Amino acid sequence: MKSRVLVITSGKGGVGKTTTTANLGTALAMMNKRVVLLDTDIGLRNLDVVLGLENRIVFDIVDVVNGHCKLKQALIKDKRFEGLYLLPAAQTKDKTSITPHQMKNLVNELCKDFDYVLVDCPAGIEQGFKNAISGADCAIVVATPEVSSVRDADRIVGLLEASGLNNPQLIINRLRSKMVKRGDMMDIEDILDILSIDLLGVVPEDESIVVSTNRGEPAVMESSSRAGGAYRRVARRITGEDVPVLSFEERNNIVDKFKQMLKIAR
Amino acid sequence: MPAALKNVYEEMYINLQKPDTFMEIKRELEKKLCSIDNYLLGTRVNIDVGNKHLSNKQIREIEDILLDHGLHLKDLKSNESLGLPNACEDDKSFDFEELPDYAETKLICKHLRSGQKLITGGNVVILGDINPGAEVIAGGNILVMGNLKGMAHAGAYGDENAVVAAFRLNPTQLRIANHITRPPDGEVIQVNNPELARIKAGKVIIEKLKI
Repeated sequence: MKSRVLVITSGKGGVGKTTTTANLGTALAMMNKRVVLLDTDIGLRNLDVVLGLENRIVFDIVDVVNGHCKLKQALIKDKRFEGLYLLPAAQTKDKTSITPHQMKNLVNELCKDFDYVLVDCPAGIEQGFKNAISGADCAIVVATPEVSSVRDADRIVGLLEASGLNNPQLIINRLRSKMVKRGDMMDIEDILDILSIDLLGVVPEDESIVVSTNRGEPAVMESSSRAGGAYRRVARRITGEDVPVLSFEERNNIVDKFKQMLKIAR
Repeated sequence: MPAALKNVYEEMYINLQKPDTFMEIKRELEKKLCSIDNYLLGTRVNIDVGNKHLSNKQIREIEDILLDHGLHLKDLKSNESLGLPNACEDDKSFDFEELPDYAETKLICKHLRSGQKLITGGNVVILGDINPGAEVIAGGNILVMGNLKGMAHAGAYGDENAVVAAFRLNPTQLRIANHITRPPDGEVIQVNNPELARIKAGKVIIEKLKI
């Protein structure tokens, strides 16, 4: 199988790029794929923390690119899954320490050993973004149902197309179906109307994400997590399986069910 | 004079009932430990001294001999005292004369935050915290008068005698010379006193800082 290089980007910060990268990577590794996660947010690295691998870092992406160490020495093996690896970003350097050309070579090198290379892109559209998208053959755009996030996502889609990355895929993150129902939040259709790109998945707002992120254990590992389940479905879609996009109803509690029954009785 | 030396479930039992004086106990212990293989590094040791009473200082000396061979004292049995006395009563101080000499010592009076990196050839004393994501690299010793939560590398040019001491030692990663260690996964050990890390018998060990 030819390996795929997916860059996860958004333009706006705080919409869940790193969380998405960690969860999709873990979910793919759970499906026995060989996956490497590439953190390109040099100077503000987070992916290692989200994966709980921070204390294993010895070498980072800048060391690899500058030839201070071999690629194999810098790759950190995940503590839970056999096929999951992380190449951490440097924290004490800045985004100009590597060039798009070097990044491309690095990604090509990684493709020899892995089925999937997931690139976690920094926020913004400057050097870090240009580094991250060079070498990618597909882009995943993460957006939350907010006007500002969708606006930035639109800008990103334009920039991606300008650099030859056509057909980016959209993940809508942190959707609250209750607010959508009340009309207080953009719904999936509104966002797709504006961006007019393919929908890869919808991830509901979920408190368990905060818990799992703080603990350094991706939510996909927890079977009860709603967001984790959504990420698992997105991962299956990435591997080519045909999985329907669920519309997320807030889980009904007993009181709600009782009310519904009363309504029917009336 | 053969004394028993058994390995019981990752723990070792050393019988030192026969020697009469403390000097003889020490000599006998040294002799036995020399015959121990490397794979026993880190084993916990029970010592039986029989009818003798050992002072805190003497127990401390036995502990140091064991540590030099990469072993830990688990229990010291004698008819007079049961188990180890509380470490707080210990009067023997850490010997600062052992520390290597560096001409230059830098004093930093600020917190080191994520992404900040401090490199110095000699010793460094930090009056502040080292946060996760920050790095301190010193050719000599590192002393942190705050919470060390980031990465510290002492003896960066290969000095294995260098130490890292901190008011609160909770590093993401600790390096001394060419040794790299990290805290174990999933275990949160809260220690509420100053600690010191150094290399003993080829391993990085952390002990209570005694001054």
